[in-house]
Amino acid sequence: MSGYLIEAFQCILTVAAAPGLVGLVRWIKARLQGRTGASPLQPYRDLRKLLGKEAVVSTNTSWIFRFTPYLLFGSLVVISALVPLIAAPLPFDSLGDLVVVVYLLLLGTFFLSLAGLDPGTPFGGMGASREMTIAALAEPALALSIFGLAVGAGSTNLGQIVARTLQDPGSTLSAGHLLAFASLFIVMLAETGRLPIDNPSTHLELTMIHEAMILEYSGRYLALIEWAAAMKLFIFLSLLANLFVPWGVAAVISPGAVLAAIGFLLLKVGVLAASLAALETTLPKLRLFRVPELLSVAFLFALLAVASSFLVR
Amino acid sequence: MSLAVFTQLSTLSCSLVLLMGIAVLWRHSLPAYIDSFARQSFFIVIAILSVAVYARDWELYLVAGIMFALKVVLIPRLLHRARTQIGAELEIKPYVNTEMSVLLAGVLTLLAYAVAQPIVALSDLPTRGSIPLAFAVVFVGLFIIVSRRTALTQIVGFLIMENGIALLAVLATYGVPFIVEIGVFLDVLLGFLVMQVFLYRIRETFDSINVDEMRKLRH
Repeated sequence: MSGYLIEAFQCILTVAAAPGLVGLVRWIKARLQGRTGASPLQPYRDLRKLLGKEAVVSTNTSWIFRFTPYLLFGSLVVISALVPLIAAPLPFDSLGDLVVVVYLLLLGTFFLSLAGLDPGTPFGGMGASREMTIAALAEPALALSIFGLAVGAGSTNLGQIVARTLQDPGSTLSAGHLLAFASLFIVMLAETGRLPIDNPSTHLELTMIHEAMILEYSGRYLALIEWAAAMKLFIFLSLLANLFVPWGVAAVISPGAVLAAIGFLLLKVGVLAASLAALETTLPKLRLFRVPELLSVAFLFALLAVASSFLVR
Repeated sequence: MSLAVFTQLSTLSCSLVLLMGIAVLWRHSLPAYIDSFARQSFFIVIAILSVAVYARDWELYLVAGIMFALKVVLIPRLLHRARTQIGAELEIKPYVNTEMSVLLAGVLTLLAYAVAQPIVALSDLPTRGSIPLAFAVVFVGLFIIVSRRTALTQIVGFLIMENGIALLAVLATYGVPFIVEIGVFLDVLLGFLVMQVFLYRIRETFDSINVDEMRKLRH
């Protein structure tokens, strides 16, 4: 029973903390660039404002346009229940392993691209085509890097991988683990539209990818999409934190362990958010035609990770 | 140093050596190539030192010291000087584009695992897991030589290939006799100096270090 409570709490935590995480990254970035910056709570205010506004939908659109925000939000809520955020072996682990998680992520991306094409605006189509190019290159690297970990743990189940790493802490410094981390980090930048690949803070037509697809959205639809994007960032950062530095994840379910696990999770995600902000301050945006090069490097890292943990026993 | 720690350390440093070799394939500027070579040599020094500590072999400390002086300090410095004297040709257009090069490097690494399989199966050394990585460094160095256009990059490719052989010697045998090691180092230094002379000659004759220009020699 308490396992299911934890599952529910994981979903609530992801939904509640995600906008704060985006605000935190923006705030740290602003401080690093010498600006005062909006408070980390600003995304919550934006969401409240958007939820109160009227949603304008073009008459040219089909049901896909209205359905996508709900599907995107829903798929991320489901993922947050499948990913080990607070406790490692969880009751829903048997429902879906890493393959399910990866393809649920891709389902949201796929529908968002369709929704970008749906109104028939030039920007939407451009954004959708770019997003699909990047997703097609990032997806194999993502799956392969988690497979690199799965081979070491002997299971494709994310909860099992975390539990196994907790039992054998020395393995976190092995070559396979570090290469997989590097690969997953690059994929995270691509999938969540962060700086070297997509600039989240601009609407410049030459560079935008994510922003181009959601240009036609307004009101509660836009709020849901922005919220889902924040949840995606939160889930990716906590996956990076828990798969590679699993300490703090509760192995047994007791109030003390769970509270400590929440504290550790927020701390680890906070550290990753700070390093992400520092990275975004120092890196220039990559030209679009050089993005495949970066993603092929991520794929290579993942391939080497699998090779070093699978081909040599 | 315990066995498990040593195995992990050697795999880690050899992976970094391989990555620095592959880094040459995705960078675009000559200074970055030379710096990756220097870093690769530095990680080889670390690999040699870890073997030296584990096997308690004082000769290997000496080899690591010479390696550091020659390949981390001296040769990169000479390469940088040659580059500035020739005039920095930053953008290089390789025969094989970057994405394809990086993916081919992955294929070459898998090939190295396949080729080294019998050696790994025969060996019972704790470093046997890293032997395929050393093979992969040799293959990647060879690939750099055949796929890049400028003479300077081809020299870097040759040096990377030589690094792979040096790494293989340390991993597979825990150090060949010291006199052989010294001979190899001298060979590399002399080979490098000869290549540098060629580099200047090519530059003087063709006003460029692009080896495509040398087709004119055919007539």
